[in-house]
Amino acid sequence: MRGVRGALAAAAALVAVSCQSLIGPPYQAPEQSPAGPTRTPPPAGAPAAGAQSNAPQPPAPPQPVPPPKQPPTRQFHLGAAASALVQQASRQAASGNPQLAQSTLERALRIEPANPLLWIMLGQAHESEGQYALAGSMGRKAVQLASGDQRTQASAWRLIGDSLRARGRNEDANDAYSRADMLAAQ
Amino acid sequence: MKLRRLIVPGLLIVAACAAVATAYVLRLDHMVVHQFEGRRWTLPAQVYAAPVELYDGLPLSQSELEQELQRLSYRRVASPIPRDAAVRTGTYRKIGGRIDVGLRATRFADEARAAEELSITTSEGAITSLTDGAGREVPIVRLDPLLIGSIFPIHGEDRIIVTPGEVPPLLPAALIAVEDRDFETNRGISISGILRAIWVDIRAGSWEQGGSTLTQQLVRSYFLSPRRTASRKIREAIMAVSLDEHFSKADLMNAYINEIHLGQDGNRAIHGFGLAAEFYFGKPLSELDLEEIATLVAIVRGPSYYDPRRHPERVLKRRNLVLEEMSQQHVIPQREALSAEALPLGVTSRTAGAYYPAYLDLVRRTLRRDYREQDLTEAGLKVFTNLDPRVQADAEHILERELARLDRRRQAHVAHGARGARARPVPQLQGAIVVTTPQSGDVIAVVGGRDAGFDGFNRALDGRRQIGSLVKPFVYLTAIESGRFNDTSIIEDAPVTIKLSGGKLWSPRNFTRQDYGPVPLVRALAESLNDATVNLGMDVGIDAVAQTLQRFGLAAEPPRNPALLLGTVDLTPLEVAQLYGGLANGGFRTTLRAVRAVISAEGKPLKAFPVEVQSVAKADAVYQVDSMLEQVMERGTARGALAVLPRGLVTAGKTGTSSDMRDSWFAGFSGSDLAVVWVGYDNDSVTGLQGATGALNAWSHLMADISTSSWDAPIPDDLQQVTIDYPTGMRADGSCSGDLVTVPVPQGTNPAVKPGCPPMMPLGVAAGGPAGAGPAGGVGAALQRAGKWLQGLVH
Repeated sequence: MRGVRGALAAAAALVAVSCQSLIGPPYQAPEQSPAGPTRTPPPAGAPAAGAQSNAPQPPAPPQPVPPPKQPPTRQFHLGAAASALVQQASRQAASGNPQLAQSTLERALRIEPANPLLWIMLGQAHESEGQYALAGSMGRKAVQLASGDQRTQASAWRLIGDSLRARGRNEDANDAYSRADMLAAQ
Repeated sequence: MKLRRLIVPGLLIVAACAAVATAYVLRLDHMVVHQFEGRRWTLPAQVYAAPVELYDGLPLSQSELEQELQRLSYRRVASPIPRDAAVRTGTYRKIGGRIDVGLRATRFADEARAAEELSITTSEGAITSLTDGAGREVPIVRLDPLLIGSIFPIHGEDRIIVTPGEVPPLLPAALIAVEDRDFETNRGISISGILRAIWVDIRAGSWEQGGSTLTQQLVRSYFLSPRRTASRKIREAIMAVSLDEHFSKADLMNAYINEIHLGQDGNRAIHGFGLAAEFYFGKPLSELDLEEIATLVAIVRGPSYYDPRRHPERVLKRRNLVLEEMSQQHVIPQREALSAEALPLGVTSRTAGAYYPAYLDLVRRTLRRDYREQDLTEAGLKVFTNLDPRVQADAEHILERELARLDRRRQAHVAHGARGARARPVPQLQGAIVVTTPQSGDVIAVVGGRDAGFDGFNRALDGRRQIGSLVKPFVYLTAIESGRFNDTSIIEDAPVTIKLSGGKLWSPRNFTRQDYGPVPLVRALAESLNDATVNLGMDVGIDAVAQTLQRFGLAAEPPRNPALLLGTVDLTPLEVAQLYGGLANGGFRTTLRAVRAVISAEGKPLKAFPVEVQSVAKADAVYQVDSMLEQVMERGTARGALAVLPRGLVTAGKTGTSSDMRDSWFAGFSGSDLAVVWVGYDNDSVTGLQGATGALNAWSHLMADISTSSWDAPIPDDLQQVTIDYPTGMRADGSCSGDLVTVPVPQGTNPAVKPGCPPMMPLGVAAGGPAGAGPAGGVGAALQRAGKWLQGLVH
C-alpha cells in the first residue's frame, strides 16, 4: 500500500491531468467546442512543463525517425456517454479518489475501446498513481489507435515522454517529446 | 426396614440424577446462548456479472432491452391510466417505443445506487433517449448487476442474509399461521402442538408431523444433526426453551428466516428465504408476491419432497393449502387467497437462471490467489466480474447445438459404413468456448463443456490439448518481425525433411498431400500450408518462435523442437485466448481478467483488477499477420464462415487441427470480441474433424449472434497497401489477374510485377526504394522524413 502522502499527491496529480484533459482542447468533445483553440505546443525539443532542471537541456538530435507526413484524416472525440463518464472520473479524482476515477475511465473504455483519447486519460491516471510503465504502454496503444490524428498522437507521445522521464530515461523521454512536438506542428 | 434402607440411596440417586440433569440443562443453556449470541452466519462471497450499460446510441432493440430486464427479473406491468404514474420498483411497463423501469436499489463495484425510475426510448434497434423520474435526460445508466452465484464452502451452505426491513410482513405471518400458531405466546415448545403431532403420527403409524415450534426448527437447523431420535428430541426441547427464554421473538423470527434450509442445488444447500427467493423466483425477497411467499412457506416442510422444480403439482397443492390456512387465520382476506390460488407457481427454470459454473470456476481461481478460502466462503464479499450473460448464454446454447449436430452427422456416417448392420452409437463430442474483449482483456464468457450447467471438468480452463495450426500466426509474426519477410514474400511450399535431435527424420506433409511450390506468405498462412510453414519456421528459428509465444503470454516453456512449428504444444482454450489477445490487440498483451473488483460486506473496496496492457510486438508486424488472418476468413481454410457471418462483418482467425484429427480448434476475433472454440473427445480419440469442420461453425454462429463490430484497426503509419496476385504474390491488377488480394506491406516495398501485367508505378512515396527494406522504409522515405523533421524545427 502506498502511503497516505503518496496517495494524496497522486490524487492531486490526477486532478490536474483530468481537468487538463477535460478543459484542454485536445480532449474536448466537439459537441462542446467543435473548433477549440489549439493548446500552444511547447517549443520544439523543450521538455514539457515540470521538467527537472537536471534533465538534459539540448534537444535530442533527430535519432528517432519521425513519422512521415500524413494529412490529418480524422480527429477523435468522445461520445456523449464516454464524455459523461470522463467528467465523472475527473470529479472522483478531484475528491481524492483516484482508484474510483480509474474504474470510471475503464467503464468509458468498455464503451469505446478503440478511442485513443480514453487510453491517454487512463494512462495519465496510472501515471499519477506512479504506475509509469503501464502509463507508457497505454500511451503507445493510443499512438497506434490514433493513426491519422496527429493531435491525439502528440498527446499520446507526451504521455509516453512523461512515463519515460518518471523512470529516469530522460533521453528517450526527450525523443518522445520531440515526436509530440513535431506531430503537434503538423 | 428394607424400605428405609432403600430410601436413602434412592434419594441420593434421584438427587444425583437431578443434579446431572440440571447440569446438563445448564450446559445446554450456556451453549445455546453463547453460540446464538455470537452467531455470524457464514456468508459466501456473492458473484455478479458485468452490469449492462445503457446510453444514447447503444444498439439495443426494445425486445433485447426487455430480455435484459427479464433476466434481472423485472416484471412487466400494465400501463397505468394516468400515463405518468410512478412505476413500482422491480417492474417495468411498455408505452409505445418507451420502457419505464423502476430500477432497484443496487450496489456496483464503485458505488451504491438508490432505487430510481428510468425511461428508455428505443427506435430502429437502438436507444435514442434516457430520462430519469424527473424527466431529465441522463447520458448513461447501468442496470443492476446480475447475481450469478456465490462461493460457498465445502459443506455447501449458501445464503443471502436479509434484515427484518427487507422481509415482506406476510412472510412471518404465513410462517406463524402454518408452522407455529402460538409462536408469539409459547415458550419455545408447544405442548398442544406436540400432542397434536403425536395424535397425527399415531394415526398414520409413522412420523408425519413434527409438531415443532419455529424455535425448535431453528434449534434443529442451527445446532443439531438432522437425525430423529428421542434423546435428540429432548435436547431440542431444552434448547428451544432456553433460546426462547433469552431472546426476543423478533430476533428468533429473523434468525429463522435466514437459517432455514429451503432447497438443494447439487452440493449447494439453499439456506434462508433471501437466497430461496433468488433461487426459485430470481428476485429479491422484498419483491415477492403473496403466492410466491406461500410457495416458499410450503417448501419449508420438506425441501426435497416439495421441490417446486421436480414436483410442481405437489408443491402447488401444498401452496394452496398454505394460502387457505393464511385466510382461515385471517392473515389475508379469503378473496386474496382465492385469487392467489388460481395463479401458477411461477418458479424460474434452472436453465434460464444465472448459473455459470465454468465461469465461477475461473472467478474462484482468480480470487484464491489473493484470499483465503475462509474469506471467500464466510466474509460476505461481493465480487464483480466481467461476465456478459448474453454472450455466455449464446455460447452455451451454440456449443450444445453444434456438438449435437456433429454427433448426428458422425452417427449417420457410421450407420452408412455399417451397411444395414446395427451401428454402434458414437460417443458424445465435447467442447469448450472462451470469449474475451481483447482491448481490455475482459473474459466475458466461459463454457467448460457440453452441459454448461454441470459443475464438472472445466475444459476451458483444464482441457489441455494440442493446438495444431493455431500456432502458425506466431511463426509468421516471428518471420515478419525479423524484417526479412512481408505478406508478399515468397516461400517454398515443398516437401521438407528435418533431422531431429535423436537422429530421427521428420517429414511433415500438407493436409491436402499436395505441394504448392513458391507461394506468398499470405497464401501459405491463409491455406495453412504445413510445408511452407516449416520451411519458414526453420529459417527464422524455433527458439525465436518459442520466444514470440512466450512474449504473447504463454506461461509454460514450449517444446523447442521443429514440431512446435506445427503446434505440438498442449494448451487450454483460455491460454489460446491469451495468446490471440495480443494479435487482436495490435501487439499489446492484456492480462485476461474475470474479476473487476472485490468489495467487503460493508461496501469497502478491497481489490481492483485494472486493465493492464503491455506492448509485446511491433504494431506493423502484428497488423500484417492480422491481415493474413483476415484472408483465412476470406479465402483460406475458414471461408466456410462467410455463409454464417453477417455480410460485411470483417473478422480474422485461424483454424487448428491436431495430429490425426483429434482436436478441432478455431481462434479468431472481430473488432470488439475474441472467441476460442475447441471440439474433441475427452479420451483424446480421433474425431475426424478439422478446425474448419468442427469448431469453426460454432465460432461463426457465436460471432453472428452477439453484437460485434468489424475488425478495422487503423493501418500503422509505416505500412502501405499493395494489391497482388494471390497465387503468386506478384503485383497485379484486374487486367492481368483473376485472383487479387490487397495486403499491407512496409512503406517502400515493391513486389515484382506479374509477367503479362501492364507496367506499374512504384509504390509509396519513396520511388525506387528497395523491396522489403523493412519497417524503416526506403532511403527516399527516410530522406523525406528527415525533411519533415527539419520542417518541424523551422516551425
